Amino acid sequence: MSERLARLADVLVGYSTAVRPGDIVRIYGGRPTTPLVREVYRSVLRAGGFPSAELTVDETIEDLLIEGDDDQIAWVPPDLAWTLEHGDVMIVLDGPENTKHLSGVDPAKMTVRAKGREPYQAMYLERSNRGEFRWVLWGYPTNASAQDAGMSLEEFETLVHGAAFLDSDDPIAAWRQFGEELERVGSFLETVSELRVVGEDTDLTFGVGGRTWIRADGHSNLPDGEVFTGPVEDSVEGTIRFTFPATIRGRVAEDVRLRFEGGEVVESTASTGEDFLREMVGMDDGARRAGEFAFGLNRAVTEYTGSLLLDEKIGGTVHLALGRSIPGTGGENQSALHWDMVCDLRQGGQVYADGELVYRDGAFPESVLA
Amino acid sequence: MRDLRVEKFAELIAGYSLGLRDGQVFRVDGEESALPLISAIYRAALRRGALAYTQIRPAGLDEILLEEGTEEQLGHISPGQVVQTEQLDAWATLWSSSNTRALTRADPARRKTHLAAHYRMVNRRWERISAGELAWCGTLFPTQAHAQDAEMSLTQYEDFVYGACHVREEDDPIAHWESVAETLTARARELDSVRELRVVGPDTDLRVGVEGRPWIPSEGKQNMPDGEIFTSPLETATQGEIYFAFPSIFQGQEVENVRLRFEDGRVVHAEATSGEDYLRSLIGTDSGAAVLGEVAFGLNYEIDRFTRDILFDEKIGGTMHVALGGGFDEAGTQNKSDLHWDLICDLRQEGEVYADGELVWKAGRFVTEPAVERV
Repeated sequence: MSERLARLADVLVGYSTAVRPGDIVRIYGGRPTTPLVREVYRSVLRAGGFPSAELTVDETIEDLLIEGDDDQIAWVPPDLAWTLEHGDVMIVLDGPENTKHLSGVDPAKMTVRAKGREPYQAMYLERSNRGEFRWVLWGYPTNASAQDAGMSLEEFETLVHGAAFLDSDDPIAAWRQFGEELERVGSFLETVSELRVVGEDTDLTFGVGGRTWIRADGHSNLPDGEVFTGPVEDSVEGTIRFTFPATIRGRVAEDVRLRFEGGEVVESTASTGEDFLREMVGMDDGARRAGEFAFGLNRAVTEYTGSLLLDEKIGGTVHLALGRSIPGTGGENQSALHWDMVCDLRQGGQVYADGELVYRDGAFPESVLA
Repeated sequence: MRDLRVEKFAELIAGYSLGLRDGQVFRVDGEESALPLISAIYRAALRRGALAYTQIRPAGLDEILLEEGTEEQLGHISPGQVVQTEQLDAWATLWSSSNTRALTRADPARRKTHLAAHYRMVNRRWERISAGELAWCGTLFPTQAHAQDAEMSLTQYEDFVYGACHVREEDDPIAHWESVAETLTARARELDSVRELRVVGPDTDLRVGVEGRPWIPSEGKQNMPDGEIFTSPLETATQGEIYFAFPSIFQGQEVENVRLRFEDGRVVHAEATSGEDYLRSLIGTDSGAAVLGEVAFGLNYEIDRFTRDILFDEKIGGTMHVALGGGFDEAGTQNKSDLHWDLICDLRQEGEVYADGELVWKAGRFVTEPAVERV
């Protein structure tokens, strides 16, 4: 296990964040991730960086949201603020102990927390876009995430490691190769001005002309494998029904359906968690708009697991995020929210680019990308 | 289920030791093995309106740094930590560890570089504490590693720690520590008028000059548990011999049966039954390391045994301790050193202390009121 972790650490440090001598590197790990934190710490030392690490614990976030007043909840601690403003590299190892630990918390308090953090979120994404800050999020397999996926920890570990190409002889070479495939999809999409997505209870049209499609090839997320952009803000029209439960901050809304007019959500329903959905959509002006649209392209991820980091990468899905757009895409939407929701297009889904069918049943035909 | 004693412990730190107030920037830090107390202190701080955050250290990173780090990496201070040291209003540090000997075999020279960087931060912290800008408390959450050092089961060790802090279910911790503060302060004001202490015990007859040096009560603000009064002796007045029956520990390494002879304030002879080379190398650290920077009475009678942890051992009721090396500015010290090594002298059986010739302490107790509270 330790060797596998050391290999993973070398991908996170040597490829994803490309740590260089003198880099100030902050490692944040969930409580179960200590064995990996140690390997990442070692790998950063060997790369010549200055690592420091701390564990983030579910319990303290819960305590804050239950015991804290708005000032306390919105406050950003100085160590995190410093890292996001001045640090060179941030490596986040998400390892949940209980994915539903915030179920009993008032969503309004989560909104307060998200709003407090928004300026720092915006700042580090901007810094990242300018090349001043490199960060990666790794989904560390735990029993909690395996349980959501309905499998054993070992089965889930195998799935996650496969999705990150860690079992390949040279994982970094495998990511570079996959990056070329993402490049072909990205360059094609940059020739398109309007996309129309058609699927079950779904017919959504939006402009992407002039926007940049980011090739997510393992630099900010691991596992990874998507291309994404920010849709033209006021152009989104129509309806979309999300196949998988939409989860955020330990909460869930199932069978979410959204109707857009002039770029804004005008109707939102869910079979469960509808109040929560509406609370999130009403968080601020930008939360009603789509900040991201993406194609999941990782064929090593085939089934829904309940871990967003994996689900949004499933080859043959698309996802749309309500809220903040990502700097570098050309998207201009501002919000304290960024909520990704996944729509599976593998069974009969279609995508039209400027009126032409370019994607069906979860794939771009070779002829389109040639 | 939450241990009620941990909740009381946390309230004591947040309320009594640190006096946390609304809007103060507060950090509680420690290794992951201390999580239950870190969380409880964090909650107590939130309830008091503090802008609180935790910094939970994964176990086992320092040994990787000492093994792998370059000189530059070993001596590096994270700029984020510097910023925090300047910004905090209040700070609790939990010294708990999941292995107290993890660094024992690390290369001493590399360790020195690493510690020097660490002490630069600690010194800055003390500057802010002395200037009244920062409230700080160092304490410990009982773990298996510390229980093992103390030669107890974890359950026994928990009872010991919570007893020493007076946070057992039946205790009223804040009332207890307020009364300790009163008693220790009264005792300290008495000692302020003393010119010379003479300590007599097994193989011990030591004279220590303390004229004009203020005695400081340790009443549970900067350490928990607490319970000592201390000062910094006159630098050239220490004369005679002292024997330390407890092992003397510095950075995890033990020296046994230390005997020291002082002339005109300086150690002129040092011996030990084991670790004698280490003892002499520590005394040779620098010029100030052969001079006493502290003399103190341990007065926490709930601490009735040696546990290999200085947080507790220096407060064992009925002991005295002296420290070789740097003294305390607030006690008027002139002695500077990179060393501060507390050595504990057990006076519980046969010890006597004379203040300017008058017997003031016998068999581990002051002979006159204000008596130290007995429980």
